[in-house]
Amino acid sequence: MSFSPLVSELMDALRELPGVGPRSAQRMALHLLQRDRDAARRIAAAVTAAADRVGECEHCRILTEERVCALCASTRRDHGVLCIVENPADVYALEEATDYGGLYFVLKGQLSPLDGIGPEELGLDVLEGRFADGGVREIILATNPTVEGEATAHYLAEMAHGHGVNVSRIAHGVPLGGELEYVDAGTLSHAFAGRRRYD
Amino acid sequence: MGEQRRVSLAPAYILHRRPYRDTSLLLECFTRDHGRVGLVARGARRARSRLPGTLQAFQPLSLSWQGRGDLATLVDAELAGTPARLAGTRLISGLYANELLVRTTRRQDPHPELFGHYTRLVTALALEAGAEGVLLRLFERDLLTSLGYGLPLGHDAGGAPVQPGIAYRYDPDTGFHPLAGGAAGRGIDGAVLLGLAAGETGAAGSRAARELMRAALAPHLGERPLYSRGLYRQQLRAADARGGPSDTGEDDSACQ
Repeated sequence: MSFSPLVSELMDALRELPGVGPRSAQRMALHLLQRDRDAARRIAAAVTAAADRVGECEHCRILTEERVCALCASTRRDHGVLCIVENPADVYALEEATDYGGLYFVLKGQLSPLDGIGPEELGLDVLEGRFADGGVREIILATNPTVEGEATAHYLAEMAHGHGVNVSRIAHGVPLGGELEYVDAGTLSHAFAGRRRYD
Repeated sequence: MGEQRRVSLAPAYILHRRPYRDTSLLLECFTRDHGRVGLVARGARRARSRLPGTLQAFQPLSLSWQGRGDLATLVDAELAGTPARLAGTRLISGLYANELLVRTTRRQDPHPELFGHYTRLVTALALEAGAEGVLLRLFERDLLTSLGYGLPLGHDAGGAPVQPGIAYRYDPDTGFHPLAGGAAGRGIDGAVLLGLAAGETGAAGSRAARELMRAALAPHLGERPLYSRGLYRQQLRAADARGGPSDTGEDDSACQ
């Protein structure tokens, strides 16, 4: 049997979500329509409002409906330190896991010649402008430990050094609670090469 | 197209990877015996997968896959040697070599000798053995030869041996033509051609060799620019902002 046009349209729309296939889309649509119309209206309103009004922070490119996000607007955080990450989700992960008190900059990607992504696509000219303005003392590189992430980190480091900005990078290596035996060779050799003095 | 087939432990490098669906990776691989191959690594982005650390560019790998058509499924991946670590501009030189391979070779078109040249390039870049410009020029020379467009560096268009001190003009279709009036002015010195053929550092690292290889590669690259080349140049500019000479000791990009 086939669903009515509006119901099919709802299922198609739900399938745009990551991880949602035809079966889950059908289950969600039927649940919303048969059991929970209020939730359906609330979801619709929230999606519309967010899609229309959420943009990105002028300073760090985090998602926000304000011109400047709460982190960048905060007077309690150190505006001289910038942690540079690839994705907005990385900001939330770091905020939960650390007591970092500086600001962030979201690249929304990584340098990748084969994908045609260069420094402009990542907003690095904007970032360099901020280095040139002199407000940034230190950057913390938190790009992903992939080949492209490494290329991005190196580029950023050169750019920062050019403006007298200090550069540090988060450590890469063996996951906590893991066992060396089961760590893949690439990670292990990286961790070994990056060993640190133990005092 | 083609029947279902299984390939075990093929020597390979990953040229490029990108996320695919929610948990998988799409890999562009360069293998010794099967040429360039597109593979899907299913579930490789799950938190508990050991694959992402292994499936990185510039690592010598043994890959097993099965499937038909243009995109097969990765079954297993193992490191086949010491992991290589490319840093700084050498990393970008490596990305440049990968971009060259993706742009000039076709899928399922094996070039075992080119795989050997690539392996040597990556190893030399990782060990910081030799100047990047020299390594890349020799790789470009060997790439063209493998593709069947090798430069006739030993003799001119008329069949006479190339001689040092004589300047030559390069024509992509017919080869090298001696220019009247010695090596002065435009043209490329015969010594550079012979040096490039012999793999001499001085000749291969010269600006003339870079311009020659650029002209020779151009017909095989099409209209689009090479992104890694722009990246290399921007990188040097970013480093130059530090003041003083750039730390690569080169006046320009090592990439084409």
